[in-house]
Amino acid sequence: MNSSILLSTTTFAYMVCALFYISGLTFRYRPLLVSGGFVGLGALLVQTAGILLRWKESYALGYGHAPLSNLYESLVFAAWAIMLIYLLFEFRTKQRTLGVFPSLFAFLAMAYASFSPQIDSKIQPLVPALKSNWLIAHVIACFLGYAAFAVAAGVSILYLVRKSSTANPHPKGIPGLIPEPRQLDEFNYQLILFGFLWLSLGIITGSVWANSAWGSYWSWDPKETWSLITWLVYAAVLHTRSVQGWRGKRVAWLSLMGFACVLFTYFGVNFLLSGLHSYGTQ
Amino acid sequence: MQEKPGIGQYLYQTFASMKLSVFIFLTLAACSLVGTLLPQGITEHELHTRYTPGVARLIEYLGLNDLYHTGWFRFLLLLLALNLTICTIQRLPKTMKQLKQRDDRMTPEKLAKFAHNRQIDSPLPLDEVESRLAAIVSSELGPIRKLEDSEAYVGVVETGRWSRWMVYMVHLSVLLILIGALMGSMLGFKGYMNIAEGGVSQEVRLYRGDASITLPFKVRCDDFDVSFYDTGAPKEYRSELTILDNDRAVLSRPIIVNDPLSYGGVTLYQSSYGAILKQAEVELQDKDSGKTHRLILPYGETQAIPGTTDKVQIVDYQQNMSQFGPAVGIALFREGREPAGSWILVKMPQFHGNRIENYKVNVLKAEDGYYTGLQVKKDPGVWVVYAGFIAMLIGIGMTYYTSHRKLWIWAGPIKSGRNSTRIMLAGRTNKNPIAFENDFNRLSERLQNDLTSKSSKG
Repeated sequence: MNSSILLSTTTFAYMVCALFYISGLTFRYRPLLVSGGFVGLGALLVQTAGILLRWKESYALGYGHAPLSNLYESLVFAAWAIMLIYLLFEFRTKQRTLGVFPSLFAFLAMAYASFSPQIDSKIQPLVPALKSNWLIAHVIACFLGYAAFAVAAGVSILYLVRKSSTANPHPKGIPGLIPEPRQLDEFNYQLILFGFLWLSLGIITGSVWANSAWGSYWSWDPKETWSLITWLVYAAVLHTRSVQGWRGKRVAWLSLMGFACVLFTYFGVNFLLSGLHSYGTQ
Repeated sequence: MQEKPGIGQYLYQTFASMKLSVFIFLTLAACSLVGTLLPQGITEHELHTRYTPGVARLIEYLGLNDLYHTGWFRFLLLLLALNLTICTIQRLPKTMKQLKQRDDRMTPEKLAKFAHNRQIDSPLPLDEVESRLAAIVSSELGPIRKLEDSEAYVGVVETGRWSRWMVYMVHLSVLLILIGALMGSMLGFKGYMNIAEGGVSQEVRLYRGDASITLPFKVRCDDFDVSFYDTGAPKEYRSELTILDNDRAVLSRPIIVNDPLSYGGVTLYQSSYGAILKQAEVELQDKDSGKTHRLILPYGETQAIPGTTDKVQIVDYQQNMSQFGPAVGIALFREGREPAGSWILVKMPQFHGNRIENYKVNVLKAEDGYYTGLQVKKDPGVWVVYAGFIAMLIGIGMTYYTSHRKLWIWAGPIKSGRNSTRIMLAGRTNKNPIAFENDFNRLSERLQNDLTSKSSKG
């Protein structure tokens, strides 16, 4: 048994999970959605074991670091964080249809990590800059934020779908199972506020770390700048909503715009711009 | 008569508006975005080779090659600070008033207009209702504050009052961060110093502007080491540093990348390294006189060639010059002449270029070592920034996890059928209305069950 077998199983399981959610929503059949939740939970547990095992394996190789150091490991962790936050959310709200996008995102992240020829899944040693306890806090905080924003983006898409079909007084097909728009709007807001907290913590831990590692808590590195852009967009979302009474569609679109910034911060900066975080490309 | 608002009033209103905040957020985001697309901090020369003259001039005019330090970007940050401050000045009194207003007089008619309200008619007498209400509500939410009322029982329960302050906490945190950053840029400096192994230095080259600063103490690099993994990737950079205050060693410690050294408010970080020549043994063959001189030349020190007025100095070193191996740059100074110099290839003594003027030069032994590249920083604002960070996390965290909830309870006698008491419940929250609605309904159900049955469950 090694971590790559467990993580391959996870990839497959997330695909099954996403298929359950999608077919549950399409056929409006609740047991399929419930199965999606159970498969998702099972996959999350297998993935947790896989991540822990990979951590242990890195010690066996003599490198000894948390599996959060390159693009492969961060994608795996992103999938893990998305499913963790989503399942907690499903458990608390008892809303099962919202799993469609999170499970799909988790599957895509895992599939991309496993099958892209550009991504090396080998355990690599840590470069000196990353040798710090801040690494774990920084990466976990950032990815919990990203994951909450991913779930919020999924809710926003469903909101827009739901909203566009409520013009019809007798909703048929998909919208029937999806929660009320008012509820979706509230979920979106709650998830964004939650993500905002973690993103702030992620930026702050990164900043404190940078100050202790190379003497500058802010140096306008592209990754830093893009995380600030993301932060500003979500700050705008929170303000438009809570003060001007902007609700609904516009907030859903802004949430999607924020998530686009997240994706660019994560992938775009690594591939298109260069900077301190360039180890993320390997 | 409606007076026309003056320009001051107009500006104040604009700065107090949330629309402006959102506008500033998105403008800052867009401008920051531009800065990530254009290369930052490049020299004028690079700028002109990369772009056509027109584009280069535009970039220089707007400062886009150093966007985050331009006046207009700072002006945007100043606008944000102003907006924050004025919003706070405008809204803080309202919040205080809202929180002070403890004794809102409420009638059942008023309570029925609340978004969350519930009417319960009970057969129990008023004093029994009162005691049951108090027991259940205090166990779920906290103690009831009874309000003065001659005819009925009126009470209020509140939780998370202080959550109303959290938004100001977040705003204060942003101001603290901006103030800390300003302090850093006005009272601090940031630069670098390269020190050869065994060398001592006091000069810091600043990153911004063409200037340097003399530290109030000296830094000596006793040793530098770089180690590698089996894969060839670097594992650790380590400099052994000693601080000399008034030429007395006061502090001696190794530093590595994530572990800097601080002395007198100045922090030294391991940031780079490079190869350097410590000294070289050089053979100079004078073709005119046929004499051969052997000299030991420490890096950068001028030495006279015995029996002549000529002086030589090692001025540069490369570990691998154009794939020809190590090369030593040697300069020759001769009275009344321009200095001459050449790169001498260490591994290729027969190379025809290994000569300066009338000397054929060979490097017999090159003793190389490292220099360490230190980033040097003084930032008295950093603690203010950190205080801002902490305030921000507390503020946002509390905003997420708490809400200000207020529940009004009214109970008074009525005559309708077998019921003798009417109870009105109404609630309000500043956040998360759906969760509040669930809690409100649950509490209402519980009270309904309890107050409409004869026997008390409490």
